[in-house]
Amino acid sequence: MRAGGAAAQARFSDSKDDFLYTQKPMPDPAVALLVFALLAVGGAGLFWPAGGLVGRLRRLTDLDERVRLEDAIKHIYMCRRARLRCSLESLAGRLGISRGRAAALLSRLSDMRLVRTSNTGPALTADGERSAVQIVRTHRMWERYLADRTGVPAGEWHAQAERMEHALSAAQVDALDARLGHPVWDPHGDPIPAPTGEMPPEPGFGLLAAEPGRTVEVLHLEDEPRELFDALLEAGLSPGARLEVVERTDRAVRLRDHGRNRHLDPLAAANVTVRYLAADEAADTSLATLLDARPGRTVRVASISRACQGAQRRRLLDLGLVPGTAVTPELTSAAGDPVAYRIRGALIALRGAQARQIWIETPDASAPREAT
Amino acid sequence: MTAAGSGGPAPRFGGCAEHRAENLMRLGLSPDRWDVLIALAGNPNVGKSTVFNALTGLRQHTGNWPGKTIVRAEGAFAHRGARVKLVDLPGTYSLQAGSADEEVARDFLLFGRPDVTVAVVDTTRLERNLHLVLQILSITDRAVVFLNLMDEARRHGVAVDTERLARELGVPVVGGAARTRAGIDTLLDTAHRVATGEVSTTPFRLVGHAPAVERAVASLAETVESAFPKAASSRWVAERLLNADDAVVTAVRSGELGRIADAEGGGGANGDGARPPVPDEARRRVLQEARRLQWALPPDFHDTATARTYRAAQTIADGAMRRGLRRAGFDFDRRLDGLLTSRRLGFPLMLAILAAVFWLTIEGANVPSGLLAALLIDTVHPQLTDLGEALRLPWWLGGLLFDGVYLATAWVIAVMLPPMAIFFPLFTLLEDFGYLPRVAFNLDALFRRAGAHGKQALTMCMGFGCNAAGVVSTRIIDSPRERLIAIITNNFSLCNGRWPTQILIASIFIGALAPAHLAGLVSAAAVVGVAVLGVVLMLAASWLLSQTVLRGEATSFSLELPPYRPPRLLQTLYTSVIDRTLIVLWRAVVFAVPAGAVIWLISNLTVGGASVAAHSVAWLDGPGLLIGLNGVILLAYVVAIPANEIVIPTVLMLTVLTTGAAGGGQGAGVMFELDSADATGDLLRAGGWTLLTAVNLMLFSLLHNPCSTTLYTIYRETRSARWTTVAALLPVAMGVTVCFLLTQVWRLLA
Repeated sequence: MRAGGAAAQARFSDSKDDFLYTQKPMPDPAVALLVFALLAVGGAGLFWPAGGLVGRLRRLTDLDERVRLEDAIKHIYMCRRARLRCSLESLAGRLGISRGRAAALLSRLSDMRLVRTSNTGPALTADGERSAVQIVRTHRMWERYLADRTGVPAGEWHAQAERMEHALSAAQVDALDARLGHPVWDPHGDPIPAPTGEMPPEPGFGLLAAEPGRTVEVLHLEDEPRELFDALLEAGLSPGARLEVVERTDRAVRLRDHGRNRHLDPLAAANVTVRYLAADEAADTSLATLLDARPGRTVRVASISRACQGAQRRRLLDLGLVPGTAVTPELTSAAGDPVAYRIRGALIALRGAQARQIWIETPDASAPREAT
Repeated sequence: MTAAGSGGPAPRFGGCAEHRAENLMRLGLSPDRWDVLIALAGNPNVGKSTVFNALTGLRQHTGNWPGKTIVRAEGAFAHRGARVKLVDLPGTYSLQAGSADEEVARDFLLFGRPDVTVAVVDTTRLERNLHLVLQILSITDRAVVFLNLMDEARRHGVAVDTERLARELGVPVVGGAARTRAGIDTLLDTAHRVATGEVSTTPFRLVGHAPAVERAVASLAETVESAFPKAASSRWVAERLLNADDAVVTAVRSGELGRIADAEGGGGANGDGARPPVPDEARRRVLQEARRLQWALPPDFHDTATARTYRAAQTIADGAMRRGLRRAGFDFDRRLDGLLTSRRLGFPLMLAILAAVFWLTIEGANVPSGLLAALLIDTVHPQLTDLGEALRLPWWLGGLLFDGVYLATAWVIAVMLPPMAIFFPLFTLLEDFGYLPRVAFNLDALFRRAGAHGKQALTMCMGFGCNAAGVVSTRIIDSPRERLIAIITNNFSLCNGRWPTQILIASIFIGALAPAHLAGLVSAAAVVGVAVLGVVLMLAASWLLSQTVLRGEATSFSLELPPYRPPRLLQTLYTSVIDRTLIVLWRAVVFAVPAGAVIWLISNLTVGGASVAAHSVAWLDGPGLLIGLNGVILLAYVVAIPANEIVIPTVLMLTVLTTGAAGGGQGAGVMFELDSADATGDLLRAGGWTLLTAVNLMLFSLLHNPCSTTLYTIYRETRSARWTTVAALLPVAMGVTVCFLLTQVWRLLA
């Protein structure tokens, strides 16, 4: 076998000069770098998340006919539910198309027997209503999924759900429903329709109608348009949050949230649905978070911020951070963050961003509140 | 059949025995026969795996870590003449099915219907653990609570009144310490008695709810009662329906609930046709009513339920705990923690400890590696070829088997085994002691900024030993997004298989730049520089991933710092060698075998007068030179995918093959290494290598695709072709870009 190996080498040495190390011409480094830079810029232009060509093409395909039809049905349905007048103009405005195109859409929908024309504008037939509810169900289920099982930021839920509502089949939505444990509310506080199409009446009233001096609980945040929704998130609002209405003027709504004043533009405030607290419900009045707790001093948990949702919230609860739990900051890491807390006998490290979401009981929290 | 609990008996789902067997198969249990099925459940890091080992005698590796068991372990043994099957469920904080682990644990308890569930409890954290125990008791009647780590609790000044706890929980409670097998025999006996029904249980169940929930439960229970008059517990069914429990919803929808009720309550009456089925209409009404009431429930329903369970757990724990004993152990822990996490000493101590581990590994591995190489490559390999000649094997068969397959395998073992057999036990000792969670705690700030988890510091360190083992160790990260980041970026840790390459090339090409007395220092600095660059790039890649493709993955940070535990030397040595070293080595060998064959074949198969290898080298030379490498190196990296260890031997063999340079080699396809670095350098320079080639090779050795063992492991851990692809392509793309840019800039300036 050694002989065989040698033979292979011998065979090889005859031919080696043909193609090896006959110095190949190398491209000029400056040219090579230039080509690389061009390729990099071109690639970025194609795939850049927001403005890339691929992204734009994808958005173009979103505008295909079926999607438009589904969006139109959804618009008519939502108008009816909100007891707003639905018209050709509102449809054209909602979908961002001309009135002519909107009229063509409506006539196609009525050919499909999904829409009929009533004296108060277009209305859905029974079939139309069923498909509208399915679209709404898909949209809200997907938002619930994003909130519970992913780390997608709240501001992006709606946009992603707008795409998915046209992409998921009824069977897929049912599977998702089962996986999520049959949720009944979406993360904005909207009810998710049952597979049979039932929906509860929407409770509560607008924040603009709340009387100053009373404490309200946020039930629902409208997630459209994005700019106003972002303003609400910015102000720290989320479904379940309890706030005191301080003042209401034409220019702003003033709220007090954990001792901090918040100003809300009336335009944004109009997108918030609230209810008054019942007699046996306490307002959220703690003024400090776990981040403010001093090392070695035991404090008690008041609540976990409503803005903390999904896996993160479940984990904090499972670790035993429920109202009344005693927590002692015990150890600070060499870099200052995270801090390890003694919680129900265990030593658990939490990051600053998490500790900031855990409200602790403060002396004034238990004292009766005085009018400010 | 089921004992009545305080909250009413829980009907069992899954029907008859065959149905149950079917369910168990579906849940992934291997279909052998057993008489008693025991499930082990508990919080992460309570010593569940130690209990499992103590019961089965198996040596599954257990660490001082939350969340070791992701894949469920099974074991079997005989006890009092019965065949017992033991299933180790993933450690979870609750059974709410909010994560994959929790789903696995809950589904097994609910549908697998184990004959008895052993809830393993960390006595030092009784309250937190009871939260899970109460949830377990709410879905199963037959349970035994095992108070593990009683010795540790005593050291921390905590004792538990087991009898009182047993009275409160309504199930047997056994105290002990699995590490010393204390209480294990009693546990087994008790579990067996509960399984066979010799001991009856009356598990604690929470009664009553918050007012709003109570109203909904009562109203729905009435509806259930009217639809299923014979259901065992309409209240329980109502609670499950309001919780949207799939099993119960399905049972109502299909009418199975009625049949179960018959079987449970009717004794002789057996299901089908015994009674008229519940009409569709009534069943639909139940579900509709449940839906309506769900909407009326307060949205923080889940929060209040957790708070209530915790309150009950607190009351029970307070009643059963005897505190205020000696607190020496606790004070020791605190003082040590104060030292190891202090602002001034935390980082220096950490660097010193880790440096010591690496130094011991690299220094300690030299001698055994040399011995193994002398044995396997210099002694056994010639003997094998002689044997082949004696047996008159055709030259190609001998070449393929001995020069290809055997040599590649021998090489992998010689280079890989000694460092791993040193590194892993050392690391495991630190892990057992409880120091590693403190490292994660200290380094978390750094990793947080990169969008990663502090525990990634440890999986990264593990990656310095072996990337495949590093990927497996990411199981300790229980947040999905951070775990994926750690898996995908583990390859940026310069593993054992690549250190020798770096050291060799650095001493030949970079050490030569410095005066002779500084050469060693300069080349060592170059290697450390590459390793540090790897860490920097890993952080950068983590940040990039967390901002782009992994942006939407769920995250749930928490890091539990377990108490310090005295490490067990012998057991650590045994388990880390068996569990980590040999498993990884076995995978590497499995992949090295075909690679050896391929390397030999491409060197010896000729097409049109030249070997396949020569053709490939010529074809790869263009792109290779463009990124400052050459065709030989690229081909070596392609064929040496299974193991980085054989890259240099393959490069040397291919260089001789394609240039015909004198100075070494034993024939086409026979990998070799030269005794002196100088001789290697001469051969490489004859192959056209320059300083630029050497620098690029060092960079490319850091930044290229993971070896196939690691890729396979990534696929096993993520179960996703997509993430495996990302993990494979990301470093290659970075490597090619970095080498290309460096080469062009170098040439521009030169």
